Amino acid sequence: MDYALVQAANGLVLGIIFAVIAVGLTLVFAVLKIVNFAHGELYMMGGYFAYYAIELLGLSPFPALAAAIAASFLLAALLERTLLTPLYSETTERKAEYGILITFGLSVALRNLALIVFGPFPLRPPSFVAGVQQWGPLILTNDRLVAGGVGLLVLMAVVYIMSRTAAGHALDAVSQSRESAAIVGIDPRLAYTLGFGLGGALAGAAGALMGPIFSLSPSMGILPDTQAFVIVILGGMGSVPGSIVAGILIGLLESLFTAFFPDPTRALSYSNAFGVLILMVILILRPTGLLGRRHMQME
Amino acid sequence: MRRVRVPVVLALAAAAVIYAQVVSSYWLHIAIVSMIYGILAASWALLAGYAGQFSFGHMAFASLGGYTSALLVQWTHLPIPLGMASGTVVCAVLGSLIGWVCLRMRGPYLAIFTLAFAEIVRIILLTEYAVTNGPAGLRVPHLLGTPAKLPYYYIALGLLAVCLVTMSALAHSRWGFFFRAIREDEEAAAASGVHVVRAKMYAFAAASSFAGLAGAFYAHYIGILTPELGSPDQMGLVVAMAILGGIESLPAAVGGAAGVETLQEALRSAGAWRFVLFGVLLLVTMRFFRNGLLQPAWQRLMHAGASEGKVT
Amino acid sequence: MRTGARVIGAPGISLRRISGVIIGTSLVVLLLAGFIVTPGGSTWALGAAVPIKLGWVGPLSPPGDYAQGEILKNAGIMATEEINARGGVLGRPVEVVYEDTSGRPEQGTAAMERLLTQQRVVAVFGEYHSSVALAEIELAHIAGIPWVGVDVWANKITGLGYPEVFRVAPTNALIMTQIGGWLVAAGFKNVAILQEKTDSGINARQTLEPILSAKGIKYDVVETDLNTTDFTAQILRFKSQTPPYDMLLTLFSGSAAYTVVSQASSLGFAPTARTAIYNWGGPALDPTFWKNVREAGIGLASENVGLPKVKWNAKTNAFVETFHKRYGFDPTPQAMENYDAEWLIVDGIQRAGTTSSRALIAALEKTTWVGTRGKYAFSKSHEPDWAFHQFMDAPVHIIQYDQMNQSPLDAPVVWPRSLATVDYVYKPRP
Repeated sequence: MDYALVQAANGLVLGIIFAVIAVGLTLVFAVLKIVNFAHGELYMMGGYFAYYAIELLGLSPFPALAAAIAASFLLAALLERTLLTPLYSETTERKAEYGILITFGLSVALRNLALIVFGPFPLRPPSFVAGVQQWGPLILTNDRLVAGGVGLLVLMAVVYIMSRTAAGHALDAVSQSRESAAIVGIDPRLAYTLGFGLGGALAGAAGALMGPIFSLSPSMGILPDTQAFVIVILGGMGSVPGSIVAGILIGLLESLFTAFFPDPTRALSYSNAFGVLILMVILILRPTGLLGRRHMQME
Repeated sequence: MRRVRVPVVLALAAAAVIYAQVVSSYWLHIAIVSMIYGILAASWALLAGYAGQFSFGHMAFASLGGYTSALLVQWTHLPIPLGMASGTVVCAVLGSLIGWVCLRMRGPYLAIFTLAFAEIVRIILLTEYAVTNGPAGLRVPHLLGTPAKLPYYYIALGLLAVCLVTMSALAHSRWGFFFRAIREDEEAAAASGVHVVRAKMYAFAAASSFAGLAGAFYAHYIGILTPELGSPDQMGLVVAMAILGGIESLPAAVGGAAGVETLQEALRSAGAWRFVLFGVLLLVTMRFFRNGLLQPAWQRLMHAGASEGKVT
Repeated sequence: MRTGARVIGAPGISLRRISGVIIGTSLVVLLLAGFIVTPGGSTWALGAAVPIKLGWVGPLSPPGDYAQGEILKNAGIMATEEINARGGVLGRPVEVVYEDTSGRPEQGTAAMERLLTQQRVVAVFGEYHSSVALAEIELAHIAGIPWVGVDVWANKITGLGYPEVFRVAPTNALIMTQIGGWLVAAGFKNVAILQEKTDSGINARQTLEPILSAKGIKYDVVETDLNTTDFTAQILRFKSQTPPYDMLLTLFSGSAAYTVVSQASSLGFAPTARTAIYNWGGPALDPTFWKNVREAGIGLASENVGLPKVKWNAKTNAFVETFHKRYGFDPTPQAMENYDAEWLIVDGIQRAGTTSSRALIAALEKTTWVGTRGKYAFSKSHEPDWAFHQFMDAPVHIIQYDQMNQSPLDAPVVWPRSLATVDYVYKPRP
């Protein structure tokens, strides 16, 4: 039973990070009504931003994390300004398809550009806090504790921004109805940039937090991307609290799956397929996600 | 194909024959691969461009078609063309199943679902290597006993022609009309009597069976099959081909496939830069030329500006 | 269907349509130009200064391990420069045509096609991925062109018995025999095997299993997908095992090994006083190893397929020095393999006195050339099957790091005992 406990603790930390990634994805969906297929690549960029802030600018890990979040926000906002503006044009038809293809292309371009710029060798930024913590059978590295703790703070900040600040209310208004938001004086364009930038910043934060744990590589975004889809579908597209709950749930479930899969030689191989399978089943039963809100439908 | 200009088609056929006579076997190989990808890109365009179903599971079907044929031939010593046919049929059945399952999924939900489907197929092919030989690749018997490229070239050309004609016929049939109606507005289509369930299943079945056929031919031509064929990067390549050519014209998608494949070969020395180039090219095309790069030219060629607009 | 208004998002401006036509047309022109300008075969050119072309194949882009491919290529460039500085071979300079396989068997086939029919190379060498090599040797066999495998370990490559195929790397059978011997000598009895699910990982494990069974060593195997990043669950599962494992044997030829090593150490599983760690496959010898694993790598053991320092000859010394000066890190054994392979082919051409394939194959069979990895000779025996055209004396020794940031060239050699630089077979981490 000790093993199950250790696994559960481990899954909880991963789940928090998954939730941070997924909340970014869901926020972008709520505000812009597109699924960002390049979200995993923003996660990857966040990791590299932190690494280079440490290596080139000589920052220590925590300020580097803040720098990475800021840089990810700016990168995402820039991408939104250059690539996504046709989404808001009246003459553009079938915006959902445009959103799928443009972000899909972006993910291919960013991933391969990273291979050239950052190189194929994996890189590992220094630990936030070196060492491990041990309570009885439970072992967690300090880096995982930091990732989980900071991840929780980030999630709380997002919930706070969305529910208590003017910017959050503006984003929520635009996500409900662009026209009525415009009537009450909210500039939708600003909301789009803010929404996409915030989504990118969340992905970047997760990437920077995970860097010392998993090492950085240009293809590191593919897996979290799939996982984020699973979570967002499970938690409901556009629902921030749903994504938080679903993220932690998936983290736990996957860890326990690996722990208790009957054929241990294949457990790790199929643990990725496990989440994906959950996703397919949910989509078959509920084609708009588990908690999908009606007004979240494509226009 | 109602308005197809006979001279244009004849000229293309003549060009294909002349090409085969003048180039080295290496460029024949590139042409064969281009035509296989041409079938894949065109059938994806049929599904995405015509029916509006943005599936990222297309290459998983190519993979399934290839593995089905290869394994059937290996186990039952079926003649290879029959193996390829079975691969096609299996993909048609699975495709219609996916079409049925995805019935109520829209836009991004469908894209995510099919992406998930492709991942599961790839992971199973990788993990169950006792059957599939996993990442080392399954040895597949060659379709022909000869290493010469010319016979393969003409078979690929024939397959491509047959696939294009069938797809065009489908696109211009009643069902093709239904596909477009669903794409534009599903509820309105259903209200005006379009059988949405069947139309979606047909669209998926047709596109998937072409993908399966292309995958099976690819396997029996190259002689080796790896789960990598169904990877997201390969899917990205086919999407890039279709988009660059033009997603709403089947021949333009084929042109896109030929263009990307040729560029890929011409830029071999550029290594990893090639993929960046394709990604950026895809972005620029989507952002500024949403009709694709070849589609407008192709339409000029076929209709000389006739704007009542029939896609071949 | 209307083309203007209904196309995704097209505003239907005719100007845009026209520019589309222009772009489309220019793309077609570009493609046609591509066909015409492609380099043709060199058959038309005869004369003393025409270079002798060799082909190189290997991963230079993803999903292949192209970091490794680059290192091999760099070593090859050094060899070419040195050969040509000496006046080439048969009075002609040597030119190597580098072909990227992306680590995909299909691309390997295309690359061979291009080398054989477009470039008309005299011989092909290179390759890092066994699965790609297996696809390539089929074409080499049909064309009758010699193919020298640089760092491919699958037994089957030489096991097929193709007369064109040679290999300078050790096979898995040779490597695993050494690892098995070392495991017994160091007293390991209960081994956890974590294996990457690739062709090389699978082949390594299949070669290792009978050796472990024969020596009475208990083992369990867990396979992982290549893109797995979190091994925590699996490592904890290993850790909770009773009786406890005394060895974590990681079969990883790619950079996933770094994550495994880091996580095994931080979770307190291996290397510890109770459990040792071994990496098969090469990444522990890469220049980025220490940067990624830091102190977790102290105590790790791995095989080195180059000569140990005590056996270095003049060529090894010169190569290591030049390579380090030029690229800023110590060469991997794989770099030495590639360097030697190119020289071996040139040596063969020299002795054959011609570039004809048959003469070259015959000359390669009689190789007695001394390179950076010792004196090369290729076996002609088919017993066991992989021995044919295999460099049977390919060096394999096992090192165990005892300091952080240690170069693999300076690490203590623990096996085989005849080459050992320390008096222990294995030193547990305190």
